[in-house]
Amino acid sequence: MDSMNQNALTLKLCEFMETPEGWGRDHGRKVYQKLIDFVEDHPGFMIFMVSLEGTKRVDISFASETIVELARRYRGQKGFCFVDLADQDMLENWEAAASRKKQPIMLWEGNKGRPIGIGPSRGALSAFEFAITRESVKAAEFAASIPAMSIANASTKFKQLWEQGFLLRREDIAESGGVEFSYYRIG
Amino acid sequence: MTEIKFPATWIDENRFEEALSSNDYPHETASAKIVFSFPFNCKVMIGTAVRLLSLANQLDHCCKNVVLDFSEGESGAMGYLNRMGFFDHLAPGITVLPDRPILSGAFVYGRTNRNLVEIEAINKSHRDQSLPSRLTDTLMESCSGRTDANELEGAAWTIFAELIDNIFSHSQTPLDGYAASQLYRNGNSLKVVVSDSGLGIMETLRPSLHAEYPNLVGLSDLQLLVEIFRQGISRHGGDRGCGLRGSAQKAIKFNANLEVRLPKVRSLLVPAQGTYQPNNKAYCSENLPLIWGTHIIFDFHLDQK
Repeated sequence: MDSMNQNALTLKLCEFMETPEGWGRDHGRKVYQKLIDFVEDHPGFMIFMVSLEGTKRVDISFASETIVELARRYRGQKGFCFVDLADQDMLENWEAAASRKKQPIMLWEGNKGRPIGIGPSRGALSAFEFAITRESVKAAEFAASIPAMSIANASTKFKQLWEQGFLLRREDIAESGGVEFSYYRIG
Repeated sequence: MTEIKFPATWIDENRFEEALSSNDYPHETASAKIVFSFPFNCKVMIGTAVRLLSLANQLDHCCKNVVLDFSEGESGAMGYLNRMGFFDHLAPGITVLPDRPILSGAFVYGRTNRNLVEIEAINKSHRDQSLPSRLTDTLMESCSGRTDANELEGAAWTIFAELIDNIFSHSQTPLDGYAASQLYRNGNSLKVVVSDSGLGIMETLRPSLHAEYPNLVGLSDLQLLVEIFRQGISRHGGDRGCGLRGSAQKAIKFNANLEVRLPKVRSLLVPAQGTYQPNNKAYCSENLPLIWGTHIIFDFHLDQK
């Protein structure tokens, strides 16, 4: 997926791995350090699209120590999502690792995205589905799209999604002069 | 002297345990000399070979005088062990009768036969990044015609990678761990063996149970073993342990049996109702002769179910 999001940068995992196969916690931790350096070297980017092109296999331990740990570390501040993840076995391993750490990671196939690892709660699902169809959204926009949805209620849902790692957010100044959050999909 | 006499037949893991239990236990005996005797027509299976290697090196490490006595010389069990690289990893202080092989079969023929992977040492200072792939290749050599070959290949690689990595995580020992595999066409199976001489899973896990999994404190070693593969419990808490659990889930899909030998217990875990259950009918043994470490055999059936 080519992100339309100008906050996003593509990161090719295999370039951090030295080999096309990643396995084991030790290997994962070495790659993790390189990934952190990369993220810190690009402070202007909020979203990192993890391309698995060239990555042949990863085991669950490696998955847990690399992108899943990275997503957890930066939860709420920066987001990580997968593109080019076609291999079913590798997908299972990423899912198992993300599920264990209760860290959602978006998987994009073309313009369709879904979280792996864990999904949003039933109460926040409609807000999440609304959010991932656009680059950014404000609670007021979602509230306006659903009859009887208050802005306060919509804000609560988005805040929960942000805290759990499904969305990112930035603080804006509202027309009224107060603080208003814009919520960003990851990808 | 304590003599462990193996019978003149195939020595699988059951016969290995029977032989070990038939005399004073090697680690526990006061005897300073331990002799393992292999008569004519004695044949060693891969699981036994790797466990014997670990045990012999452990005894040598404890300053026991260890002797491996092969009546048939290189034309028998010794020849197979040499082909698998057994003697390349056997501690130099161990006596081999009639003599240590002059040439290592694994050195001469190593990595030329896709029906086996010679015994490979696993330790923190030497990590063969290609080992999971080579173990997988032996499996796929026999299973490439299956309709689920791609899925099997990916699953098997993950299982081997996780098991080998588990040795690194649990080793805490100067002794090497080992991995090997052997195809048994007549037995319709491929056995993949991963073995270490470190602290067993239980020794590393039990101290953390009170803090991390208080509801599991009362379980026996065998019950806890099953939960390691079912729930993925780990001494590092809830974030970890997903490797062994994930591996088990993949192995279950392909109906692979899992035999686990811990320092004093062993169990055969078989797939049932989407998880691993101990097969109490086969064996489920406790109070066995001590062997340090964790020794696992994955047994894949070659036929597609």
